Amino acid sequence: MESNLITEDKQKNKLEKAFEILKTMASKPSGLIGLTIVLFHVVLAIISPYIAPYDYKAISPNTMLLAPSAEHWFGTDSLGRDVFTRTILGGRTALTVTFFGSLIALLWGGLLGIFCGLVGGKIDDVVMRVVDAFLSIPWILAMLLIVSLLGTSTEVLIPALGFFYGKGIVRVARAATHDVIAKDFIVSARARGHSNMSIIWNEIIPNVRDAILVEGAMRWSWMLLGFSSLSFLGFGVSPPTPDWGLMISNARGLMSFAYWSVIAPIVGLSSLIIGINLTADAFAKALGIDRSTKAPV
Amino acid sequence: MKYILKVFSATFMSLILSFSIANASSGVFKVSHDLGFGKDTNLDAITKGRLFQVVIKTQNRLVRPDMNGVPSPSLSTDWSANSDATEWTFNLRKGIYFHDGSAFDAPDVKYSLMRAKDPDIGSPVRKSLNVVEDIEVVDQHTVKMKLSTSFADFPLLLTDYRLRMIPEGSGDTIGQTGVGTGPFMVDKFDPEGTTILKANPEYWEGAPGVAEVHVIAIPDAQARIQALLTGQIDMNRYVPFNQKKIFDSNSKFTTTVIPTGNWRGVVMRTDTAPFDNPKVRKAFRLAVDRQELVDLVMGGAATVSCDTPVMPSDQYRLQMDCPQNISKAKNLLREAGFPNGIELTVYPATLEPTWPTIAEVVQQQVAKAGIKVNIEMVPSKGYWNEVWMKKPVSMTRWNQRPADTILHEAYHSGAKWNESYFKNADFDKNLADARSELDFNKRKKAYQNAQMTLWEQSGTMIPYHVSRLVVTSSKVKNLDAVDHFSIQWHKVKVD
Repeated sequence: MESNLITEDKQKNKLEKAFEILKTMASKPSGLIGLTIVLFHVVLAIISPYIAPYDYKAISPNTMLLAPSAEHWFGTDSLGRDVFTRTILGGRTALTVTFFGSLIALLWGGLLGIFCGLVGGKIDDVVMRVVDAFLSIPWILAMLLIVSLLGTSTEVLIPALGFFYGKGIVRVARAATHDVIAKDFIVSARARGHSNMSIIWNEIIPNVRDAILVEGAMRWSWMLLGFSSLSFLGFGVSPPTPDWGLMISNARGLMSFAYWSVIAPIVGLSSLIIGINLTADAFAKALGIDRSTKAPV
Repeated sequence: MKYILKVFSATFMSLILSFSIANASSGVFKVSHDLGFGKDTNLDAITKGRLFQVVIKTQNRLVRPDMNGVPSPSLSTDWSANSDATEWTFNLRKGIYFHDGSAFDAPDVKYSLMRAKDPDIGSPVRKSLNVVEDIEVVDQHTVKMKLSTSFADFPLLLTDYRLRMIPEGSGDTIGQTGVGTGPFMVDKFDPEGTTILKANPEYWEGAPGVAEVHVIAIPDAQARIQALLTGQIDMNRYVPFNQKKIFDSNSKFTTTVIPTGNWRGVVMRTDTAPFDNPKVRKAFRLAVDRQELVDLVMGGAATVSCDTPVMPSDQYRLQMDCPQNISKAKNLLREAGFPNGIELTVYPATLEPTWPTIAEVVQQQVAKAGIKVNIEMVPSKGYWNEVWMKKPVSMTRWNQRPADTILHEAYHSGAKWNESYFKNADFDKNLADARSELDFNKRKKAYQNAQMTLWEQSGTMIPYHVSRLVVTSSKVKNLDAVDHFSIQWHKVKVD
């Protein structure tokens, strides 16, 4: 009974702390704007399949390149497809792929960085040199190689993006761990004979979590841009999946006379990136992390 | 009197001078190529990697198509056949020199054409040229070609854009030098950068209108459009019709629509399951709505084709209708053992700007017949080496050729560019019969029978023959409004 009470208290504390952080973030105009934009995109992504007015795949020569109207709010593209439908569903694609990609990046990058920071020595040297080697390879070339070999399905894109965007997190997590391991409570835990896993889980993660989360949030927006770049080049998700990068790529040649087919995905992509960036900055400030000196990537 | 003479001389000299200046080659004509053959790009017209944007300007054929596609004199001034059309005599133009200074004569013709038949070189044009058994050098300016069969349309075959005349013995170096008798000479060959051609002042049809032609490698289709808009190139012959509006209202550009025999398609390898079953192939082809493709991809500027590669204006083309038939496609799939449909992947690249759109439209159309199409974009660079004729399903595009040539080259069981690996004895026999038939109607019937076999059996879905939207900078003058291979490049001027 007592332990249940303690757990409930802990959860309550966590919720209170999360609410406090959100409140602090929203107290600044930039944080409020960022949060609002991200929330808007997330809600739209969730409800988009239910509110989309047309089939995103439906092609027709009769509706090619129609200007915005009451029937087609954002007009139609060169194959006669509704741009509004494809834009809102495109946001869902982008958010899904990059959210799970960022999660993978956070998990492997964060855990590996913490482990290297804790054990140090030769293992740390070898791992960091391998990470350095990967960092020296332009990610887009490596991604092109991967999608050329394995295809462009989301099953390939999510882990591949997660891997390439996790490299930088390894370094941030390792640096944050170095700040922590010299502290007395780690020395005490070692003296008590705790295993490395126990120290990572109980002592280090709670103390480096915030720095890694902020880094992860920033990487999310970079990954969004990276994912859209891949789609723009034709190596993101496969047609006819609605995707902002792909929509921009298909419509870029029509910009001078069918601007509507390219403006909507551009606004969607740029607003989401700006929103995530503002949110990540506000998040960092709310946690007391100075990103100007804490991003040794 | 002395004064009058002086004035007269000065006026005369001025006239001569201005006439010379007016006729001198000047200006630079900048064009692009898509680097589709990657590192294999070369200047040997008969090889797979030939950079035709260069060789068509540096080398001549014996016979060229005129503005209506009819064989007309080039390096051969006239020709005649014996009574059964098995021997053809060609008289050569006199006083012609290659860019390296050597004279063009009969041994060069024999060398150039026999080399195209060399199995070691394995030219894609070899299959259609195999009808030539021997070439006899009658004298320095006359050759007699002995054929294995009667061939009433033989001069038409010689209009093939690859059958260029090169100096005898130059086979080892021609891929880099591009030496010919054409209006331009290769100054610098840089397939991945800018290839520079200089005017040949001694060109037999007159000095070219421009001093230089720059052929710039730009693999991406939209990048080529931007290059045209920004003045980096002066001509783009592959502008998609949905971008016509950009140029229509801009006085800096001239747009021309040219009906052509060029076609685009989706190729299924007939040696690979499930496409080794003719019913599956026909089901896929029946599930396509060709008119909708014409409207969506070409903005209506194309002629529907029923999987025949023979161009709409060709006398041997089989005219037929082929509307989308989903129920028949489903039945064929069921009979072939695929009652739940099939799944396939196509690999478009942007080197042909319409491929991704064709793939997307076809994807939606054939889905109604239970055919699921996945689209995987691939890089433009090296497409022809790494995707085409390698993957079970690929995208294709062909430039126009006479009926006999295209049917041999793309479908004959022994052809190097038989991209669908199509093998059909009846088809081969019809082609052989057509060549040896001297009666026009019977010959036409044989060619059309061959095309009917393609409709029933082939692995290549050819939805239309395109009209080409050619956009040039308004500085470009005197460009013939015909397809690539009929243009007289020496006439082009750039203000």
